[in-house]
Amino acid sequence: MKLDGTFRRQAVIGLAAAAFAFSAGPLNAQTGNPLRIGFSMARTGMLANATPSQMNTYELWKEQVNARGGMNVAGVKRTVEFVVYDDQSKPEQAVRIYEKLITDDKVDLLLAPWGTPFHIAIAPVLEKYKFPLVGNTAASVALRQVKPGYIWFTTSAIPDRIGKELTAMLKQQNVKSVAVLSNVLPFTKEIKNFLEPELKSAGIEIKVSTEYPPNIKDMTATLTQVKQAKVDAVLALAYPGDSVLYAKQAKELGLSQGFQFVAIGPSDAFFPKVVGKSSADGVVTIAHWSPRPEWKGSQAFYDSYVKKFGEDPDFLNSALAWMSLEILEVAVAKNGLNKEGIRATIAKDTFETINGKVKFEGVQNVITPTAFVQYQKGKLQLVWPSSMATSKFAPKVGW
Amino acid sequence: MLETMLSGQLLFAALVTGSVYALVALGLNLVYGTMRMLNVAHGDLVMLGAYAAFWGFSLFGLSPLLMAPVIALAGAAVGVAMYRMLFRKMLGKASQSTAGKVESNSLLLFFGLSILIQNSAAFVFTPNIRGYVYLDAVYTLGNVSMTVNRLVALLVAGTLCVSIALFLSRHVLGLAMRAVIERREAASVVGVDVDRVQKLSFGVGFGAAAIAGVLMSMLEQFSPFSGFPFTVAGFVVIILGGLGNITGGLLAALFLGFIETYGVALTSANLRSVLLYGSFVVVLLFFPNGLLSKRLIR
Repeated sequence: MKLDGTFRRQAVIGLAAAAFAFSAGPLNAQTGNPLRIGFSMARTGMLANATPSQMNTYELWKEQVNARGGMNVAGVKRTVEFVVYDDQSKPEQAVRIYEKLITDDKVDLLLAPWGTPFHIAIAPVLEKYKFPLVGNTAASVALRQVKPGYIWFTTSAIPDRIGKELTAMLKQQNVKSVAVLSNVLPFTKEIKNFLEPELKSAGIEIKVSTEYPPNIKDMTATLTQVKQAKVDAVLALAYPGDSVLYAKQAKELGLSQGFQFVAIGPSDAFFPKVVGKSSADGVVTIAHWSPRPEWKGSQAFYDSYVKKFGEDPDFLNSALAWMSLEILEVAVAKNGLNKEGIRATIAKDTFETINGKVKFEGVQNVITPTAFVQYQKGKLQLVWPSSMATSKFAPKVGW
Repeated sequence: MLETMLSGQLLFAALVTGSVYALVALGLNLVYGTMRMLNVAHGDLVMLGAYAAFWGFSLFGLSPLLMAPVIALAGAAVGVAMYRMLFRKMLGKASQSTAGKVESNSLLLFFGLSILIQNSAAFVFTPNIRGYVYLDAVYTLGNVSMTVNRLVALLVAGTLCVSIALFLSRHVLGLAMRAVIERREAASVVGVDVDRVQKLSFGVGFGAAAIAGVLMSMLEQFSPFSGFPFTVAGFVVIILGGLGNITGGLLAALFLGFIETYGVALTSANLRSVLLYGSFVVVLLFFPNGLLSKRLIR
């Protein structure tokens, strides 16, 4: 076959690009004999902006482990090296990556990717190769459908439990009526589905219940409706993007409710920077961690994260990522790289983490309570439940 | 409900949304109008404008509003440089028969550019969500509350759109641009410097995108991947207004702003996309060449 000049040039460029793409390999792969730990992470694509708090936590952990001589592998210290691939924000890509990490890269251990769909997608791969992984940034009632065995979920921020606990907190604050605004994405929709029946059975009137799409650009019409309804509390079941939109437009319209719940976003350091500290102050959000003297290592984790990255960790996702690493460390110290041993330890033992004790039954963490934090004077404080609160809930005053 | 619909609050929101859409779409439309090139990286230029304002403000405390002209000029310079280095060469080398192919291939070229810009930005700036607090005081006029940065965005975007529209209808260079947009070959025959007009379109288009980015950064959070929705919005606007029809684009942007605000108020926020794209389809059914087709203008 004779190729014309243009096509030949294009073919050469294409082949060169393909060769480069395939030869590039893992982002951080190195040679040598350290402990190789693999994972995928959304470094590009629409979810990439959500992953830095988890990735930063992994990097911080690696730095600290290597600074103390390496990870304890059944009494032998081995330095840690990451094998990281970009899953391009696609769960199906993560499935291929984890299979490759296990069969081709032959990594020693695995860490979790970001987000619920990714955890659920890779669970069958872990089951197939009997490779244990402690999950972290995943939260859904659907996690309970995942076959127990080789994956565990550290979070207690599960929508049905959030519905119960948030209702209890509202009752305690004597809230009689609410407005529920929900992004239609899965996690917030799940919360809404569990929350509203709880509110009704607790006798809290839902005066406004509305949903909106993830790409919403203006909430004026919805928030005008909320303002006219004169409710006691606003429950904005928002994702990071619309959490900012909500806060900015609630300020513009002067929503004066003392109880302002914003589901996802405020636990991350970007929130007060984008909406302003005074607007962030008083907002309640989902997280079950905060530095507490009772939780060994929690303050040290906070301090070292702030020192390295110049901002607060995400009180939900960073804490979960760190907890998963702590659990893995204990299991590896006890069993070395014996996968069945690691699995048995994670499944049966109780672990001390920066979020207190953690124990799994099936895939779930059954100790950590579902909790909420509130911005108070620029700091996130645990305000619910009272058993582990670092501060009392204070009604929000203005934006 | 009637009270809400008649309140100035919704009108303000509709005008802010519409004016930002208009500014984004205007740059896209100029490049398409003069060269028939669909710049799918346009939203990414908006994103870069937002980062320029963010870094200027965060690192040096520079006012985004005062920086806007500088950022716009930088955007325009990038546009002109890109035209000179890439597109003029391509168009210049192309014969009459292959010019159309070059123009259609520009879609792929811009698509590649979009991916390159997004991922380079993610690498350089990190994918972290960014934003800052600027002019966030709330000003109340009658029963309408307006955050100052939204008011400023409305005024700046509105003024720029009207100014560019006036430039196109009054200034000799603007008239030359319109001539190229409406009758490219004829304009060339009567002595319009098509190359200069194309270069100017790239400059103004990229500059407008950069300013839209500055305004966007004052209003919302962003990341390296925030540009694409602006590209989509821009395309909807320019198709609705008539490809290459600047005045039609401005009206279409306002139309979308009103649909987005009043439509949601009348129905549900969940129907936003249905309303936007539904009205888009309905309009195109009755006006296939856009709200103000060239036939209607004349």
